[in-house]
Amino acid sequence: MSMLSIARIDLERLFVRPFAWILAALTLAVLAWFFLLDLNAFLAAQPRLATQAGNLGYTDLVAAPHLLAFTQLSLLLAPLLTMHALAGERRTHTLPLLFAAGLSPARIVLGKFLAVLAYLGLLLALVALMPAWLAHATSPDWGQYAAALLGCALCIAALTAIGIAASAFASHPALAATAALLVALALTMLDAGARLGDIDTGWLDYLSLPAHLTPFMHGLVRSVDVIYFLLIIAVSLALASRRLAADKVRG
Amino acid sequence: MAPAPPLLQLDHVSRRLAGRQVVADVTFRVARGEVLGLLGVNGAGKSTTLAMIAGVLAPDGGTVMLEGRDLHETPAPAGRRIGYLPENVPLWPELTVREYLDACGRLRGMARAARRRAIDRELLRLDLSGMVNRLSGQLSLGQKRRLGLAQALLHDPELLVLDEPGNGLDPVQTAQLRELIRTLSDSRATIISTHVLSEVEAMCDRVVILHEGRVRFDAPLASDSGALDRAFLAIASGKTGVAA
Repeated sequence: MSMLSIARIDLERLFVRPFAWILAALTLAVLAWFFLLDLNAFLAAQPRLATQAGNLGYTDLVAAPHLLAFTQLSLLLAPLLTMHALAGERRTHTLPLLFAAGLSPARIVLGKFLAVLAYLGLLLALVALMPAWLAHATSPDWGQYAAALLGCALCIAALTAIGIAASAFASHPALAATAALLVALALTMLDAGARLGDIDTGWLDYLSLPAHLTPFMHGLVRSVDVIYFLLIIAVSLALASRRLAADKVRG
Repeated sequence: MAPAPPLLQLDHVSRRLAGRQVVADVTFRVARGEVLGLLGVNGAGKSTTLAMIAGVLAPDGGTVMLEGRDLHETPAPAGRRIGYLPENVPLWPELTVREYLDACGRLRGMARAARRRAIDRELLRLDLSGMVNRLSGQLSLGQKRRLGLAQALLHDPELLVLDEPGNGLDPVQTAQLRELIRTLSDSRATIISTHVLSEVEAMCDRVVILHEGRVRFDAPLASDSGALDRAFLAIASGKTGVAA
């Protein structure tokens, strides 16, 4: 219950600031523009695509890339939204308020994670509606689209968890955002060179974020990919909890 | 029949911070209905002691017992029984006064109707009714202090822990605070930390003087206020050891 209370309080605090509204408006505007560009390109290429084998359709060329674009944007959104989660509480001296209420570090961390996740989840829902609105005019592959949506949701949750962990370790929100962005970029770029050179990435594949996100975009839900994202979430939140508990022990 | 345990009991509590022994072997108890003044110069260990009582910091050694139960082993129930005002008032500046108090009530697990009643009560009691829709970050220092006190009182705690509550208050508000604490102490235990002797004399039944993290004096407040002045000055200047 107290975990949900923290989530509700943080959501309330997020929505009373213009920052959250501006961020949402900009994100939706940018993605709507990308969507229209992708759709235009798809319509232009349709006669050519119809003659080709492989049968790439609306879901492959418009809907799934649209979700992927939001996930890529979340590399920036998640650090911006999570930077104040714990580093901000330290700066405003409000952590004692949470500890004095008898809340455990794990509950505090989970509550804050849920708040940002709820905000990004809402944005993801709005973003996902854009390609779905055209369902009457085309025939999307709903299975593939659902898999892509699941992959995006897991990836966004992982980026949020990384942001919360960075916020737990940093003394200043700006440092937290930078650290979260760097970690997320490192996970994204880990195998970039190998991919460009078409070299077998081997074990780097296990760590690389795109390697686990791409199968979802093709409609493939593999347990190894789901576990990868769940592991990132669990490790990040556990680290954040430990750091917060250390605040109580170390002062 | 065994006597009831005191509401709060600290047994040989110690705490190091940044490699320095800030609190060492502190032992005292507080009964219901009692107002305890924790007196000491800056850096004496008052705020650290209060943070441990409030469950914000864990002690390195010793125990903090709330009615016979270790506070740090059962933090959630203890959190609902303790009201804490730290030295730096914990505010979410983007929330209005009412939103902030509502959030604090939610943290303490209060139901919606109880929250509403408690908020109205505390707004009235702390003279904040005229500023319910103002952002808490835009209040003056004294108003922030009163709002901090309101959050500490919101869930009607049995133990009130106030760290330098008089900071930033004007003389009228200071007099009101003293009156308020006197009124509140009928049904609960209160601990107030301060380095102002007159605050202790005006509000407290008993005084504990901390110096360099240790209890140097623990006695009921005598009618001779000069005695406390002399004891405090002697302890603060290092001319005396433990007294009681």
